[in-house]
Amino acid sequence: MTTTWHADPPTLEAYATGALDDVRASSLEAHLLACGTCRDGLAASVPAASLDRMWHEVVVSLDAPRPGLVERALLALRVPEHAARLLAATPSLRLSWLLAEAVALGFAALAANVASGNDADLARFLFLVFAALLPVAGIAVAFGPGVDPAYEIGAAAPMRADVLLAMRACAVLTTSLVITGCAALAMPGLDAIAAAWLLPSLGLTFVTLALGTWWRPFVAASAAALGWVAIVSIAAVASQDRLAAFRPVAQAACLAAIVVSAAVLARRHTVFEEGIVT
Amino acid sequence: MTAPTIEIDDIHKRFGHTTALRGVAFDVSAGITGLLGPNGAGKTTLLRMMATVLAPDDGRLRLLGWDPHAADERLAIRRRLGYMPQEPGFHRSFTAFEFVDYVAILKEMTDRRARHDEVRRVLDAVGLESVSGRKIKALSGGMRRRVALAQALLGDPDLLVLDEPTAGLDPEQRLRFRELVSDRTADRTVMLSTHQTEDVAALCQRVVVMLDGQVLFEGTPGELTDVAEGRVWLADARAPSARLSWRTASGAHRNIGEAPAGADLVAPTLEDGYLLLVGDRAFAEEAA
Repeated sequence: MTTTWHADPPTLEAYATGALDDVRASSLEAHLLACGTCRDGLAASVPAASLDRMWHEVVVSLDAPRPGLVERALLALRVPEHAARLLAATPSLRLSWLLAEAVALGFAALAANVASGNDADLARFLFLVFAALLPVAGIAVAFGPGVDPAYEIGAAAPMRADVLLAMRACAVLTTSLVITGCAALAMPGLDAIAAAWLLPSLGLTFVTLALGTWWRPFVAASAAALGWVAIVSIAAVASQDRLAAFRPVAQAACLAAIVVSAAVLARRHTVFEEGIVT
Repeated sequence: MTAPTIEIDDIHKRFGHTTALRGVAFDVSAGITGLLGPNGAGKTTLLRMMATVLAPDDGRLRLLGWDPHAADERLAIRRRLGYMPQEPGFHRSFTAFEFVDYVAILKEMTDRRARHDEVRRVLDAVGLESVSGRKIKALSGGMRRRVALAQALLGDPDLLVLDEPTAGLDPEQRLRFRELVSDRTADRTVMLSTHQTEDVAALCQRVVVMLDGQVLFEGTPGELTDVAEGRVWLADARAPSARLSWRTASGAHRNIGEAPAGADLVAPTLEDGYLLLVGDRAFAEEAA
């Protein structure tokens, strides 16, 4: 198709600078598609700074990394973009770790169901002990030297280490609670005791973080886990009740452990700032 | 002479039964300072202290005029610091861009647009713009070191601490590194450790040689070269008095040590000075 008219220079300039009204701009755009002469004229009218800015926008859009699955999920939950990136670097928030958690808990729930005919308390005991430990395992590999590959680079950066640890611990705890909560629904004879892992898991998380002010997170988590297994075993043997560590008195003890650990954290959280824990 | 940006006074550090630093003391001013020394000399321990990730057991350290032991002053230092560790770790599932972006967030750059501009700038500076979208696990060792260097350059820091930045780089990349570091303005401080005496000769205004956790030498590269003045000569074979000797491409032996009378002396290099300095100390300790 051959065009018979051309836009005058003031019109092209007004379009290039965004001063043309919408109706005339749309009309001109339709004409520009078919008219090489006017396109050439327009190119000369576009301010260099605007062109650079537009080109920069194109580069920014093309270069922006496409977030991974976990990061996209966090963004969908309205987590700020920079926080989502920090959390996506958490080893225990990787898709592989979350899947492993889900599969392990699924097997634990399945085993509890299979064993429920013979010894329901033993099946529940094993599930509850394991479920309470899950966030501790996540925190053990969430932060710190030896588990965070970029720990040393991060330690020299101004972002507060205790804030980063708190963010990651919250994210790990939340995902663990959701996964464990789903698995608990598959427990045989669903009742209040099926949720008795909740407070112990919070308590173990706080104890791990508090111990982490003295030891590396992995060591702190290992100590908390061993202590937990010892306590529930001793309580079960001493009281002749396998679920003694999940009864109301024990739940109150968990609450006390949370309060004490929170106080320790409030007092000692600056330790995480002081550099590599040796 | 400008005020020192790094002040180190009688620093000591032990790891269990091993003494890493014993009474280290020197000052560093703006410009490029090289830290030379054999493995186990204490270079990395000292650089980690300069990067605020390790505290000395004893002694006084001030960085950019601040005390890294005080929490608020440590934060002020970290806001003006770039650090490349000797063995930088990466989140290998991240791309080069994502990893540098991650560190930029740790450096308090929360505005996405400005941060991405800065990430692109540093990746361009180290010549990684074409692979910025590639996963770190798919990059070569040399490229990974350049990613580590890129993150250290974020925010154009006043104090740049680089632990063996040229290890694993090919000759062209090393030249590019020299260009990049020497381009920095004179009012910034770069502290780098290396095994490459050529890098020190080409880049550094000052050089510090460490051995066994102590400072053996502090001065200019020229002064370190002068240590070997009159102690390097060419001969047809290894001389009995030579501390070190090797056959050069021309077939003559380059001897370093106490030159005999009438020896064919040649101009020493910085490497000769370094080898003699470290060798003299080892020899003296052996004799003692």
